[in-house]
Amino acid sequence: MSAAHFAATVESRRDLGGGYFILSLHTDAPAPIEDTVPGQFVMVRGDWGRDLLNPRAFSVLEVDGAQRLAILAKIFGRGTARLAAAEPGEPMTVTGPLGRGFAAPRAGCTQLLVAGGVGLPPLLFQARRAAENGRPKAVEMLYGGRGRDDLVLVDQLDAWGTPYALATDDGSVGREGRVTLLLEERIATAKAAGEAIEILACGPTPMLAAVRTIGLAAGVATYLCLEENMACGFGVCLGCAVPVHGPRPYRYCCTDGPVFDAEEVRWP
Amino acid sequence: MSAAPPPAAGLAPADVDLRTRFAGKTLATPLLAASGCFAYGQQFAAFTDLRRLGGLVTKGISPAPRFGNPLPRICETAAGMLNSIGLENVGVDAFLADKLPFLRDLGISVWVNFFGTDFESYVECAERLSVGEGIDVLEMNISCPNIKKGGIEFGTVPEVAHRLTKACVEATLLPIVVKLSPNAGDIVGMAQAVAEAGAAGVSLINTITGMAIDVRKRRPRLATTYGGLSGPAIKPIALRMVHQVAKALPELPICGIGGIMSGEDALEFLMAGARTVQVGTALFAEPGAIARITDELRSLMAELGIPAIDAAVGVLEAIPPEPAYAG
Repeated sequence: MSAAHFAATVESRRDLGGGYFILSLHTDAPAPIEDTVPGQFVMVRGDWGRDLLNPRAFSVLEVDGAQRLAILAKIFGRGTARLAAAEPGEPMTVTGPLGRGFAAPRAGCTQLLVAGGVGLPPLLFQARRAAENGRPKAVEMLYGGRGRDDLVLVDQLDAWGTPYALATDDGSVGREGRVTLLLEERIATAKAAGEAIEILACGPTPMLAAVRTIGLAAGVATYLCLEENMACGFGVCLGCAVPVHGPRPYRYCCTDGPVFDAEEVRWP
Repeated sequence: MSAAPPPAAGLAPADVDLRTRFAGKTLATPLLAASGCFAYGQQFAAFTDLRRLGGLVTKGISPAPRFGNPLPRICETAAGMLNSIGLENVGVDAFLADKLPFLRDLGISVWVNFFGTDFESYVECAERLSVGEGIDVLEMNISCPNIKKGGIEFGTVPEVAHRLTKACVEATLLPIVVKLSPNAGDIVGMAQAVAEAGAAGVSLINTITGMAIDVRKRRPRLATTYGGLSGPAIKPIALRMVHQVAKALPELPICGIGGIMSGEDALEFLMAGARTVQVGTALFAEPGAIARITDELRSLMAELGIPAIDAAVGVLEAIPPEPAYAG
């Protein structure tokens, strides 16, 4: 594990509306973040004294060299509310990169990136890497949210030439309905054409549960990037257990994941 | 108010002697990593120099491996957190074979926390751990709220704790330090009971049983409903209990635990009567917390003219009484 615990400062905060924001962090001393794999995460904490004791886990949105990284978050509780108010220059501590991320796309097999709301970062990062490697069409983004405000950074997909389809519950953008609707249609197309696909998904747990059911039923390899409460992020607190099938009933989101094979996850 | 003793002239941080004696051993510093917050040590090697610790206490070990509790297992609360991990651990055999060799080579004090699920398995665990080379102390956990069968009586009824401690002390040559539960009604009575049974010291306190509720879902925030509260929120309670036990049993070595996040926090515990302290929850946010706290303790002791740990332990003075009210 080449992770580090390091000091960083807020370089910028960009509000995206709907409670979403991007926090860009800069570290004076180079940190081992350059080779962060999409799906890996960092633990971030501000100078919060004795209340808000634990750092918060965020999937990495992007890295730039060894001194810059960005996260995308949505205001959800006390921690994200504080981070959403962070000003440039504010000190933070970061632990990471942590966990195991997604595999890169293989030749001849399209990765369907199924993103729901705030589950976007690891999949946008995966799309970015594919584009940087000259293979923007090795992945396809299926991106859903409640409404217009939940679909952020779509312009980046346009810029990279990443194929994508959108869905919103209220029909304000893209197809009206769940993102799993897009997934089911896309699987059907692939099956009809004999196209090799695999599914990478990140989003709210109900969405991931639906993606898992669909992927397993269709016999498509499916990988879920999970989110669990965690205090440390590196395998010590054991708070982020994930129920699995196999020799042991639990594995850990932080060290064994956060990316898990859908077949392994022990969900209803 | 009586003035504090004047600072010793020219006391530099480097001159402060942080060594402390506990359970027959000398530790380089009084700061240990607490059980359950340090796993078996290896994970921290990437983030901090483990040799800067006075010692560490392993995750609680039981005779057989345990898989732990259902989710959710943790939740953050005001200045603290609740956990109900369920004493997940690799079991004695895997601990001795796979985890202990790494710890033994660090050159710091190695305390192995252990527990059983009933009287016999406590004794069995103490016995089987005794063959481990490089263990300095067995810290007996009679106080974890996250175990159902018998757990409550071991940690709250002095006669039961006495019997259990005595049996474990007789089963091993290693010193046994008993980790006490703040959920006990009479903490001094518990400390006295285990001391008379042959305990080499006591660690206090373990987490305090607590609860949090998600009102939107109408559900408890932990799968087991109740869990153990840790962090700065419990520090005043921990200090009070350390102080009570130290006053009643001045000869009994005490390892103070509860929300320590700074050198000043650690010094408070020493002044209350602890000879060593453990840092737990702070390690999650800051894996190198103990090195920082050690530096802070050293600087603070120099500033206050306290040259050595012995000069800090139990030196608390009473607030002088007010003149009588005469109208």
